[in-house]
Formats: sequence, structure tokens, C-alpha cells
Amino acid sequence: MIQYVIRRILYAIPVLLVVAFITLWLFDIAAGDPAAIKLGKNPSPEAVAALHEKLGFDDPFLVKYGKFLWSTATLDYGVSFTDDTPVRTIFARGIGPTLSLTIPAFLLGTLVSVVLALLVAFYRGSLLDKTMTVVAIAAISISSLVYILVFQYVLADQWKLFPIWGYDYGFGAITFVALPVLIWILLSIGTDMRYYRTVALEEISRDYVRTARSKGVSERKVLFSHVLRNCLIPIVTRMAIIVPFLITGSFLLEIFFGIPGLGNTLYTAIGNSDLPVIKAFTMLGTVLYVIFDILADVSYAVLDPRVRLQ
Amino acid sequence: MTTLSTMDAFEAQDLTVARTPTQEAWRRFKKDKLGLVFLVVIAIYFFVALWAGTFGWGGSYEVAGQTRPAYEASMGQLGIQLDGKPFPESQVPPNLAGGANTMLGTDALGRSVFYRGLQSTKVAFIVGTFGALLSVVIGMTLGLLAGFLGGWVDRVVVFVYSTLASIPYLLLMLAIAFVVKKGDFANWYDDLKIGEFDVSDFISLGLLNLVVVIGLTSWVTLCRLVRAEVFKVRELDYVNAARSLGFGTGRILFRHVLPNVFHLVIINFSLTFVIAIKSEVILTFLGVGVDKEPSWGQTIAGAKNELMTGIWWPLATAGTLLFGLTLAVNYVGDALRDALDPKLKT
Repeated sequence: MIQYVIRRILYAIPVLLVVAFITLWLFDIAAGDPAAIKLGKNPSPEAVAALHEKLGFDDPFLVKYGKFLWSTATLDYGVSFTDDTPVRTIFARGIGPTLSLTIPAFLLGTLVSVVLALLVAFYRGSLLDKTMTVVAIAAISISSLVYILVFQYVLADQWKLFPIWGYDYGFGAITFVALPVLIWILLSIGTDMRYYRTVALEEISRDYVRTARSKGVSERKVLFSHVLRNCLIPIVTRMAIIVPFLITGSFLLEIFFGIPGLGNTLYTAIGNSDLPVIKAFTMLGTVLYVIFDILADVSYAVLDPRVRLQ
Repeated sequence: MTTLSTMDAFEAQDLTVARTPTQEAWRRFKKDKLGLVFLVVIAIYFFVALWAGTFGWGGSYEVAGQTRPAYEASMGQLGIQLDGKPFPESQVPPNLAGGANTMLGTDALGRSVFYRGLQSTKVAFIVGTFGALLSVVIGMTLGLLAGFLGGWVDRVVVFVYSTLASIPYLLLMLAIAFVVKKGDFANWYDDLKIGEFDVSDFISLGLLNLVVVIGLTSWVTLCRLVRAEVFKVRELDYVNAARSLGFGTGRILFRHVLPNVFHLVIINFSLTFVIAIKSEVILTFLGVGVDKEPSWGQTIAGAKNELMTGIWWPLATAGTLLFGLTLAVNYVGDALRDALDPKLKT
């Protein structure tokens, strides 16, 4: 297993090298001259030259690439274009609010989806099952932006059940993240429930379920103790795949509800063409994805003794 | 005629009838009545999209009770140059009540919500169809090549898609969108002419941008599926038979292997179509999507400010129209998956 993990990490290195190359290349073409962003209109040529010198704008591409790789290795992406705050500080500020929204949303959402999936799998073929399938398809057919706008308008603006905008650190955060969490759950439930239903149905048709039933185990116990335990593998694997999105997945929610998290930071950075921040985001997102991809495979082997990683 | 009646006779006696896979799939698809209804819904949307331009002309000036030239002149006095472009800006203040052309009210800029909603289907179909087409062609070709040829081709393709999949989706879309929209490419495209025909007038840069972004970012799923399926298929007898007859790789791949994995392509097309029209909304909201043509994304993005003054009907209209198309395509995609899966016998 350790050998497997090491091999996966080694395989991830060329992936990260290429991603760094693509990131740098794409954003470099797109961005144009940083002086235009930083120095405003009509800067003096000396100021432009000084800034280019400082940021290494005129360096050959390979030098920039080397510096960028070094930044990723040391997790130090320099300072933001807009206000010279170190990118590291910006991330440290944003991570708390983001996770206070995404972790409860993710855990609650998964819980609700799994329970609903087991329920409809239990009553498979019934009216409930068919209705839920249609409801799930309808739910994933609504644009996420429409969800956010409608819920914000109706529940927060009209009915005043939740605050419309803002954030409070500490326990006060609960009132502000409650509505975004609710929207997240509604957004994810359609896809997740359908996925877990398929997983549960696959397990239900297996021999051990028939054995358990034939020896007189109650249907409820078959479902929640035998089937659920065997469903854990796909559930945990799927959860591991979703985890990296806890950083960027709340992007729209944060913008609309004024939560000062990483998504909001990224939105501001995009608006200001703040390249150091955008590039750092892309690389860190990739690193997280790669790490959790490996973890998902490892969790496979840990949860299922039959799986041998090679 | 005789064959048909024989088939009917067989069917009446519940005997096995030989059908081509397409006939078999269609027979199964037909059983899902809701699927048929949604297929008709998609067709209606499609015809609305074809005639979207016509709707635009009507809605623009009739709202103000004027003829087109008079309307353009009155707009010109206000400093709005229409230049024959279908941007229906009327002088009616935003309200929900209205005549035949403004049956769903007017938006914050006084434009007919109903006509804008209908016009937007055009953008949705262009983005959905061409975005999904580009994505499917890339995914299918790479998947076929990787699965069939194996070796270093396979390793390269797997490396490319695992790299692409590891970049955060949203940031990758933004990066490509920035390059298309802001880079030298934008200038080149603006001046691009084929003979006298200005390409950017036909498909604006914003639209092209969306098609490219969606095509380049969403092919990985299909590529994986096709590759895995071709792996299974390539050692089967019929492939070996084709080889022994001396057929070339290209012929075997596209004439013999492709039909056996094509159901994946069809299903994936419908999925990517939905992803594309949903991405249009997000990308337009982020300022890298459509900006010239009316689109649901524009209306929904604009609703953020409109809702503050209580104007909710543009959002409701665009949201509902978008929902209708997405739901129809999602459901038909689902029904297709059931109909095309050869393992499911009904």
C-alpha cells in the first residue's frame, strides 16, 4: 500500500508540472501588462519599468515557470496586485468563513442524500420512488444562480427569515450561513440522491441480502445494517472526491451572501485581474484534488479488505 | 408490405422479431410516454430558437405602438443606435401588466420580458449544440484512439485527461475564457472575414468563447467511458474478423467499433448540452459569457439588481424557460440511457 501511495505521488508530479505550465501560460496571455492594472492610466515609463523589474515581467517564460514552481513548493505566492497583501494572508483570512459554510453543508447534505436514497431504494418501484426520481431530475434542472436568487429574495428579503447579506465570526456565523447551507443541500441533493440510490440498489440485489432475508432478519435491519455498511465504500469515495470542492464550491453562495471566504476572495481577484491570487487558487485547487484523489483510492482499500492496491 | 405483416404477426404471437439496434432502442424509448412529451418540448424550443430573430423584430417596436423605422428614429434621438440590431428597447416603464407583446411585463430597461425570453433560446441552442458537439467529438476521438491503439497513445491521452480533470473546473473555464476574450485572439477574430462575410457578426465572440470553453473542459467523462468500453470491445471476434479481412485501423475504428460505443456518445451529448446551457448562466454572470445577444444568463445575472427594486418577473420567465429546456433534455437523456443500454431487456 505504501508503495502504491508513493507511486501515485510520483505520478502526480508530472501532472502538477503540466498544470503549473498551463496555468502560467493561459493567465499570462490573458492578463496583459500588470502595470496597466497596478499603476492606473498614463503611468510614467520609469514606474512601469520599475514594476516590471520587481515582478519579473520581462523574464523569459522558463524563468517565470521556475519561480512559479518554487512558489508552489514553498506555498508562497508573493503579494496581491491590488493591495500588496501577501497571498498567504489572504488565504488564511478566507479559509475560516468558507469552511464554516461548506463543512456543515457537505455533511448535512450527504446525510440527507444517503437517508433519502436508502428510503427510496427500500420502496423501489413504488410511487414514492418514481416521484422522487422525477423530483430529483427537476431539482438538478434548475440553474444554481436561480436557486440562490429566488431563495435569497423570498426567504431573506420578503419573509425576513434569514439575514440577506453579511457574516459574523464565531457562533454568530450560524445565522448567516444557515440559508447558504440550505441552498447547498438542495443543489447537491438531486445528483447525490440518485447516485446513492443506484449504489444501494446494486447492493440490495446481492446474495448476502437474500441470505439475511431468508434467515428472518427484518427488512429495516437488512437495509440499515447490512446494505448501508456495504454502501460505505462508494459513499466515502464519493465524499473524498467532493472534498476539494469545499474550497471553491461555495463560490457563488459566498458572492451572493457576502461571506468573506475564499470564493469571495477569488471573485474580487477575478474582477481586479489579480493574477498572483488567481494562479495560487488554481494551483492549490489542483494540489488538493490530486491529494484527495489518492486518498479516495486508499480509503477503498482501507474500507474493503478485498481491494488490494498495486 | 409482406415483411411488415409478417413482423406484425410475429409480434402478435409474441415471437422474437429481428430488429436493428436503432429500431430496438426506439421501440423501448417509445414506451416512456413522458419521454415522448419531453421530446416534443425540445422540438418546440428548437423551432422557437430558429425563429428567435423574427420574434425580436416584432417585440421591439410594437411595444411602443410604432413601426420599425419610427422606432429606430425615436431611439436614435435618445442616443441609442439600433442599426437594425434586434434589441427591443421600449419606453414602457417596468411593469407586469401589458399588451400582447408584453404579456409577461417589461424589465428594468423597458424591454419585453416575453420576447427576450424567447430570443434567448437561440443562444441556448447554439451554446448547447456546438459546445456539446465539440466536447463529444474530442472525447469520442481520443477515447477511441486510446482504447484501440493502447501503448503510448493511451498513456498520453490518460495523462492529458487526468491533468485536465485535476484543475478546478471553474478556474479552467475562466482561464480559457480570458484567453479567448481578452487576448490577441479576440482582435484576430473581430477582423476575421471569409470573403465579404464577417464571421464575428454571425457568431459573436462571447458565444464562440462559451462554445470553446465548454468543448475544451467537458470531454473528459466521455473519453474515459469510451476508452474503457473500447478496451472491452477490441479483442472481440468481429474486430479480429475485420482485421483478418485486411481492413485498416481507421475503417475498423469508425465503421465497426464506433457503432458499438455510440450509445455512450448520444447519452453524453444530452448531458453536456445541459452542462453547457447551465454554464452559460454562470459564465455570463462572471462577465465572460454572452454580451451582445439576449440570453437567459444575461437576464438571470441582471436579476440580481432588478430584485432589489422588486422586479421579479424577468427572473421568473428566464428561470422557467431555462428550467423547461433543461428538464426536457435531462429526462430524455435519462430515457435514452435506459433505451440504449443493451443489457436492460424489457
